[in-house]
Amino acid sequence: MLKIFFFISLLSSLIISQEINFNSPQNLKLFADYLFCDKDYLRAIDEYEKYLSVFADDSIQFKIAVGYSAINDQSNAYKKFSSIKITSSFYEQSKIEMLKSLYLQNIDSSFYSFADVLINSQSPFSNNAYRLKNTSLLFIQNDIPEKERFLIPFENEEKNELSNFYDLKNNPPYKSEVWAGIFSTIIPGAGKIYTQEYGDGITAFILTGLFAYLAYTNFEHDHPTRAWIFTAVGAGFYAGNIYGSIASAQIFNARVNFEFDEGVKLFLEEKNYFAPTYDFCN
Amino acid sequence: MIINKKYFLLFITIFQLTNYSQTDWVRWEKSDPTYQIADTYHERDYDLSIESTSDVIVKPVIIAYWFFISDVDGANCPFHPSCSSFLAQSMKETNLVQGTLMFFDRFTRDTNVFGRHEHYSLFGTNHYYDPISSYTLDENRIEYIPANTYIKE
Amino acid sequence: MTFVIKNIFLFLVMLASNVFTQSTLKQQYEYANQLFNHEKYFDAITEFKRLKLFDKENQFAFESNLLIGKSYKAGAKFDEAVKYLTFAEIYAKNEEEYFVAKTLNARTNILRRTNKQAERILNDLLNDQRFISNQKETKYWIGWNYIFSDDWEKAYEIFNENNLDTALANLCKSVNDKMYNVNFAKYSSYLIPGFGQFYTGEYISGTLSLGWNILFGYLTINAFIEDRIFDAIIIGNFLWLRFYSGNVQNAEKFAVQKNLEISNKALEYLQNSFMGEKP
Repeated sequence: MLKIFFFISLLSSLIISQEINFNSPQNLKLFADYLFCDKDYLRAIDEYEKYLSVFADDSIQFKIAVGYSAINDQSNAYKKFSSIKITSSFYEQSKIEMLKSLYLQNIDSSFYSFADVLINSQSPFSNNAYRLKNTSLLFIQNDIPEKERFLIPFENEEKNELSNFYDLKNNPPYKSEVWAGIFSTIIPGAGKIYTQEYGDGITAFILTGLFAYLAYTNFEHDHPTRAWIFTAVGAGFYAGNIYGSIASAQIFNARVNFEFDEGVKLFLEEKNYFAPTYDFCN
Repeated sequence: MIINKKYFLLFITIFQLTNYSQTDWVRWEKSDPTYQIADTYHERDYDLSIESTSDVIVKPVIIAYWFFISDVDGANCPFHPSCSSFLAQSMKETNLVQGTLMFFDRFTRDTNVFGRHEHYSLFGTNHYYDPISSYTLDENRIEYIPANTYIKE
Repeated sequence: MTFVIKNIFLFLVMLASNVFTQSTLKQQYEYANQLFNHEKYFDAITEFKRLKLFDKENQFAFESNLLIGKSYKAGAKFDEAVKYLTFAEIYAKNEEEYFVAKTLNARTNILRRTNKQAERILNDLLNDQRFISNQKETKYWIGWNYIFSDDWEKAYEIFNENNLDTALANLCKSVNDKMYNVNFAKYSSYLIPGFGQFYTGEYISGTLSLGWNILFGYLTINAFIEDRIFDAIIIGNFLWLRFYSGNVQNAEKFAVQKNLEISNKALEYLQNSFMGEKP
């Protein structure tokens, strides 16, 4: 009799286990993990939050923060990373992630002060913070430290790249607007050639020369009306080219700045902003 | 399954490669996009209102040029905005003298047929993008766009 | 005897467990479906995805993929919609379900304006012997695909065939009749400058084009007659040719532009006022 009772109890439990409780904490977590690994971060975050309302779990908190970071909601990512407690095994990672979030929000005083705190701490990621801080200095207009000091935190293979960036930052290959204007004043089109707009430079030279010639021959052959029209047009091309050469130097410099910024951004993206990478899905 | 295994595996492979749920990284609602075909035709701004001294001379000249010549001689300008629109806008944003200088410089660039692909970003299917903001000599207004990048119309 | 009872008991328990699983999956399906019906598409997708994860036997795989696809379609996320509708095709349990998923996939492609893709899917269905009884529906969407490809003439032919849809056939015919012939506008302007503009109702532009061409044509020919060859080449090349080619370009542009306006007016009607089924 007892045997039968035991058997029925066992089977009953089997029946109950076959019923899926979609909102059980385990199933919420299972679904959230599935969404997270499918890069469906926003939905994963919602599910993890439901799970957290039942169980406190620092790894889930950390994954929520990573999720926010992945969808570039840096403000929420920062908040979530900062809620990781000192007792958690994710505490140190969360600090460097907080710095990354601050950097991606805005390179401002709060980023630099947090970076300094992290650099001066005993964190295993203090050197990462140091590298992110120094790389970010390449974006700001103020003076950056001397090269030797600037390169201190970087590893050997990074040093070459950072050294190039440093040199470009200090001596950008700008073109002088003044010289561009002066060159075009002396020889029409020369300013454009100086700013590497060779086609425009040659065209400006030909157009100005052509109208100057037309004006000259018309004056010579006593056609003053036509001569003055050609003179006015020629003068327009001449002056317009001087103006255009200055503008061209500005555009050249804008391109130098753009390419420099994009280069540094790409470098940082490749380095994941010196934050560690995580594999929660394998 | 109605579909054969080979097709299924091929689909799964393609799906794995392209399965990034970025669409859902922001909550979205029901959307009813228009059935209509996008109209990329740009109407001229035949605006005769006088806002500055230069408008008194320049606007009637430009509008007359558009009406009698530019609108009937075909699409000859490779740039957006066109040379005449460039003149009108540069005068509006700067002054008579600077606008004229900007126009002569633009006309020089218009005459040069070489190396446009390596220099300008693209606007629509037929035009190079060459905005006024790059030539006002205000460095802060220059927004550098790499060559061959498509600008949304 | 005891052995038999035990076995029956075990069988009942197993059956019950399966029924329980199915019932909870069904409940989840119904919940997700409710969200879908209330147009809460983002949340509906979440719940269908949850259903998919726990539905180990793929009992609801077709339904969940189809409704995820439909949700994305409703949110105009057509790329995602196509992906899930293709999944629904894969998990179709019978030919009817397969047809439903495939047709929805084609309709999404129509809205996405990947008309070649829609055409391929619909032609596959049309030529599939299993779906002979569904040919009317398939042709209906082929007609819509022609509308979205801006081919109103072919759309008319399809809708008119065996009176498939008289209202749409009439609409497509009237749109097609109103359309300007772009080639006629263009090539007539080669013969008589300004003609294409007159044809499309742009009388001022046509008059100006005609005027400039007569003037510069006269000046060019006159310069040739008076032996001023240089003047003739300059005027002919830089003025006459410019306005002549501009005239042809304009005639074509006006026809294309007017046709676009006609098409868009009809498409606006179809989207907002047409009562029949739409893609």
